[in-house]
Amino acid sequence: MATPKKLLIIDDDPDFVDGIKTILRKAQYEVDVAYNPKDGFKALETGQYDLLLLDIMMGRGAEGIMVARKMRKDTRLREIPVLIITGIREQIAFLFPGEQVHPRFVAVDELVEKPIEPTLLLEKVEALLKEAKVKKAKAT
Amino acid sequence: MKAYAYFPGCSLEKMALSYHQSALECARRLDLEFQELDDWNCCGTTAYFAIDQLLSYTLSARNLALAEKKKLDMVTPCAGCYKNAYFTNVTLKRDADLAEHINEALKEDDLHYAGTNQVYHLLEVFCNDVGVQEIKKRVTQSLNSLRVAPYYGCQIVRPRKDHEEVENPRYFEDLIAATGATPVEYQLKMRCCGGSLLITSRKAAFSMARNLLQNAMDNGAAVIATACPMCQVNLECYQQQINQEFGARFSVPILYFTQLLGLALGASPKELGFGSELVSASAVLAQIRNKETSTTQSPYIRHATS
Amino acid sequence: MDTRPTFYQEITNMMYATHGDPISTCIQCGTCSGTCPVVEFMDHTPRDLIGMIRADLKDEVLASNTYWYCASCFHCNVRCPAHIDIADLMYTLKRYSIWKNQYPEGLIGPTFAETFVKMILSGGRSYEPVLAPAYIFNYGLQGFLNEALTATGLLLKGRIPVLPPRIKRLDNFRRMVGHIIPASNLVGEAK
Ligand code: SF4
Ligand code: SF4
Ligand code: SF4
Ligand code: SF4
Repeated sequence: MATPKKLLIIDDDPDFVDGIKTILRKAQYEVDVAYNPKDGFKALETGQYDLLLLDIMMGRGAEGIMVARKMRKDTRLREIPVLIITGIREQIAFLFPGEQVHPRFVAVDELVEKPIEPTLLLEKVEALLKEAKVKKAKAT
Repeated sequence: MKAYAYFPGCSLEKMALSYHQSALECARRLDLEFQELDDWNCCGTTAYFAIDQLLSYTLSARNLALAEKKKLDMVTPCAGCYKNAYFTNVTLKRDADLAEHINEALKEDDLHYAGTNQVYHLLEVFCNDVGVQEIKKRVTQSLNSLRVAPYYGCQIVRPRKDHEEVENPRYFEDLIAATGATPVEYQLKMRCCGGSLLITSRKAAFSMARNLLQNAMDNGAAVIATACPMCQVNLECYQQQINQEFGARFSVPILYFTQLLGLALGASPKELGFGSELVSASAVLAQIRNKETSTTQSPYIRHATS
Repeated sequence: MDTRPTFYQEITNMMYATHGDPISTCIQCGTCSGTCPVVEFMDHTPRDLIGMIRADLKDEVLASNTYWYCASCFHCNVRCPAHIDIADLMYTLKRYSIWKNQYPEGLIGPTFAETFVKMILSGGRSYEPVLAPAYIFNYGLQGFLNEALTATGLLLKGRIPVLPPRIKRLDNFRRMVGHIIPASNLVGEAK
C-alpha cells in the first residue's frame, strides 16, 4: 500500500476540527491540525503536506485569505492544493444574503461552506489530490 | 509654511461642520497648509473592530496612502480617526505580512502604503509643531479669563503610544492658557464620556456623561472644550435627556477647542462656525467681547456648600 | 500538534497574531476593574472576566455583558502593571461571540456593529457616525430624521445631512474591500 497522504487543517474551531479529523482519519489520511493561522503557516513551511484544508475567519478577520495568498508566493507551497471550508456566511451573514462567497482575488482550488457532508468532504479531498498528481506528472 | 494632509473624517462633513471650519481657520492663521485628502473614506470607528480588524486596518490604510502619495504627514481633528490611523501606521510597519496583504487590496485604487509618513491629531500639531509660545504671540483677542475645561477624552492620549504622559497631560491646559482663558482643573478630564455606549446602553452612556458634566461644573467651568466630534456631540446633544433622566439642570456650552483658539487669533464667530450650537454659546462670546464686565467665575458654578 | 484547544486557548489563538501571549501574565491585581468607568454596569469586572477565561468558564464568559459594555476607553490598558491589552481582549470576545452567534440575547451591540459596517461599505463614508446608526437601526431613515429632530435638535440646527454621503471612486473602494472580505456582492457594480 502507498504511504498515506498527509493533510493539514488550519481552522480555529475545535468542534469542527474534531468532526472532520475523525472522518479523514477513518479514510486513512494522516492529519495535522493548526488552530491559528500563524502556527498553520509555520507547519506548512516545515512539514510536507499533500493538501491543505483552510478556514477563512480566524484571528483578526479573514486571515485564511492571507495564508492562501502567502502560499501562492512560495514556489513549493504553491503546488499544494487548497480546499477552503468556511462558515463565513454564518459568521458575518449580513454581508452576503444569498450571494456567493468567494475570495476572488486569490487562487484557491475549491471552496465549500460549512457544515459539510462527510461524503462530499472525502470526494473533494480525493479529487483535489488526484488533480495535483496529474499536474505533477505533467510537470516532470 | 508647513503642509499637512488633512483628513476631516465623516462627522466633520455636516454634524461637526463648525469643527471643520474652525480647524481650517486656525490653521490658516497659524500659517499651516492643510490639504484635504482627495476622496478619503470613513476609517471605521470602533464598531468595525469587533467584527473584522483587518478591514479596519485596510480602511485606515487607504487614507494613509492617499496622504503618503502627497508626501505629507496626516493630521486629523477626530480622535477616533486619529487613533485608528495612528495604530494602523504602527501595525503595518511591524507586520510585513499584513502590510503586503493590505497593499494587495490597495492596488485596486492604484495606491500603495509604505508607511513613510506620520499621523497627528490636530491638538498635537498646534501644541507641538506650532508651539504654545508661538500661539501666545499670535493672540490678538485675549479670551479674558474665560473658564474653559479642557476635555481630552479617550483616544488622543490612550492607548499609550510611547513613553508619553498618560495620567495627567498638560498640553491642552497650556494651549487654553495661551489664549488668555483660564484652564479649569477637574478630575475627569480624561475619563471616557460614554459616547460609544449610546447604543449598547443609554443608561451607562448618560451616567458617564452626567458625571463628566457635573465634575467640570463643580470646578467652575463656563465652557467645555473638546477635540473630538464624538465627544462634542455626546456631551452637547444629550444634555436635555440627561437633565430629564437625572433631574439635573445642565446647560453647559460644549465648543471645539479650535473655536476658542480661533477667537483668540482674531477670527469672527461666523468664520468659526458659531451659530449651530444646541446649548447657546452667547454668554461665552459676550464675556470675551466685553472686557469691562468680565468675571472669572462661571455663571454655572455650584458651590460645594450650597 | 492536534491537541484540542481549551476555551482559554481559543481566545489566545484569536489574539495570537497581535499578542504572543496575551493574558497569561495577568496577576489579578484588579487595577483594571478599579479603573474602568463602566464597571458598575458590568455583570463581571474585567479582572474577574480574565480569571473566568483562564478557568475555561466558556458559557459564563459568553453570557456575560462585560465585553459589550466595554467602551474601549483604554484606561485599564495604560494602568495594567502586566501591560495586558484588555481593550483588545474585549474586542476579541465580541468577535468570538459574533462569529459563533453566541452573544447574550437582547443585546443590540452586535446588530449595530453589523449595520454600521454595512452602511460604510455601501458608500465608503458613514452617515453621521455618532447618531445615525442607532436611529436608523431602531426606527428606519424617516424615524432617524424625526428622532434626531426631536431628541437632539440637531436637524433644526442644520447639522444632519439629507442624503448619506458617498465617495467618488466607490467601485475601486469596494473591490479593495473584496480583497479583505471574500464576498462577491461587494465587488459588483455599486448601486
Ligand atoms: S471614525 Fe468616525 S469620524 Fe472618523 S471617519 Fe469614521 S465615522 Fe467618520
Ligand atoms: S467615548 Fe467619548 S471620550 Fe471616549 S472615545 Fe468615544 S467620544 Fe471619545
Ligand atoms: S490590571 Fe492587568 S494584571 Fe491587573 S487584573 Fe487587570 S489585567 Fe490583570
Ligand atoms: S477599555 Fe473597557 S474594560 Fe478597560 S477601562 Fe475602558 S471600558 Fe473598562
